[in-house]
Amino acid sequence: MNMDTKLLNLDDESLICQVQEGSHEAFATLVDRHSNRFYRMAYRLVSSKDDAEDIVQEAFLKLWDRPNLWKPGKGGKFTTWFYRVVINLCFDHRKKKKLINLPEDIEFSDENSGPDVLYDVHQKQALLERFIHELPERQQLAVNLCFYEGLSNNEAAQIIGVKVKALQSLVMRAKTTLKYNVKQYLGGGSR
Amino acid sequence: MTMNFEQFKEKLLMYGADVRCWPKDIRSSALKTLESSPELQKLVEDEKRFEGVLNTRKYEEPSRDLAGRIVAAALPKKKKAQRNFGVFFSDVLSEFSLSRRAFAAVSVSLIFTLIIGFTIGYSNLSGYTSAEQYETHLEDFLNYEGDVL
Repeated sequence: MNMDTKLLNLDDESLICQVQEGSHEAFATLVDRHSNRFYRMAYRLVSSKDDAEDIVQEAFLKLWDRPNLWKPGKGGKFTTWFYRVVINLCFDHRKKKKLINLPEDIEFSDENSGPDVLYDVHQKQALLERFIHELPERQQLAVNLCFYEGLSNNEAAQIIGVKVKALQSLVMRAKTTLKYNVKQYLGGGSR
Repeated sequence: MTMNFEQFKEKLLMYGADVRCWPKDIRSSALKTLESSPELQKLVEDEKRFEGVLNTRKYEEPSRDLAGRIVAAALPKKKKAQRNFGVFFSDVLSEFSLSRRAFAAVSVSLIFTLIIGFTIGYSNLSGYTSAEQYETHLEDFLNYEGDVL
């Protein structure tokens, strides 16, 4: 069994221990394994391919520069911790940028016109993005982690730093608001 | 045990429209409740449509070389870091496969050797003879007119 195969068989926590000892190969294995997953999360939060890639790169380079920031003794999984790193970078990025490229120019239909108003696909996507970005931060995270990333309630709760019950409440509130907006402006689902 | 309408509605928001994917402990009771209620079946259909809309959310795939780019960006950082004295020593350590304890022992013995060396060196300062004094002694020696053996 060669070195690369050995590394591929190691779990994240063992790999990060090797990164702490300076192993570039272990670092490369971690990046290969997880860069797409963290990119997806970053993209959901910053709505830009380039920015999301930069954020994921910055997060991994931080890990490479200061691998001891990960404390195995604290229990949690590497991915849970690293999601938090990426999410914090995304929120910092959003604060710096002040606004995400939301479609400010899109006119909302008259509320009375109901869901029959037709938007093209692009406009629908832009509106949906806007509805999600207008949710409170923790509700956004809950929807992104549970619905789009398909994480378990338990893992999502750990990432956000709340109890499972609180996470479920965040998901429910977020979906209720989204459902209302979607029904109102895009037509679909019920309240 | 079956669940009531409100409980089902709550779980529907929490776990989504695919009841077969709900947690095991509530799945069978949820399916029973759903079977017997056309109203809930309509709610589930609505939820499916809503999730369909959520799934139309825009997403762009990352560049194919994202991982490679990150890995490559980490390499120059490592080279730069090697100029650092501490990193250099840790690399030496890994090169010779010394354990941390062995490395500490070697370091301590080196430091002690240095301290002992300095101590000996400074203690000789009291017996130090300047070049001037040395010259005087040499002159005395040359002008010595005593018995020659």
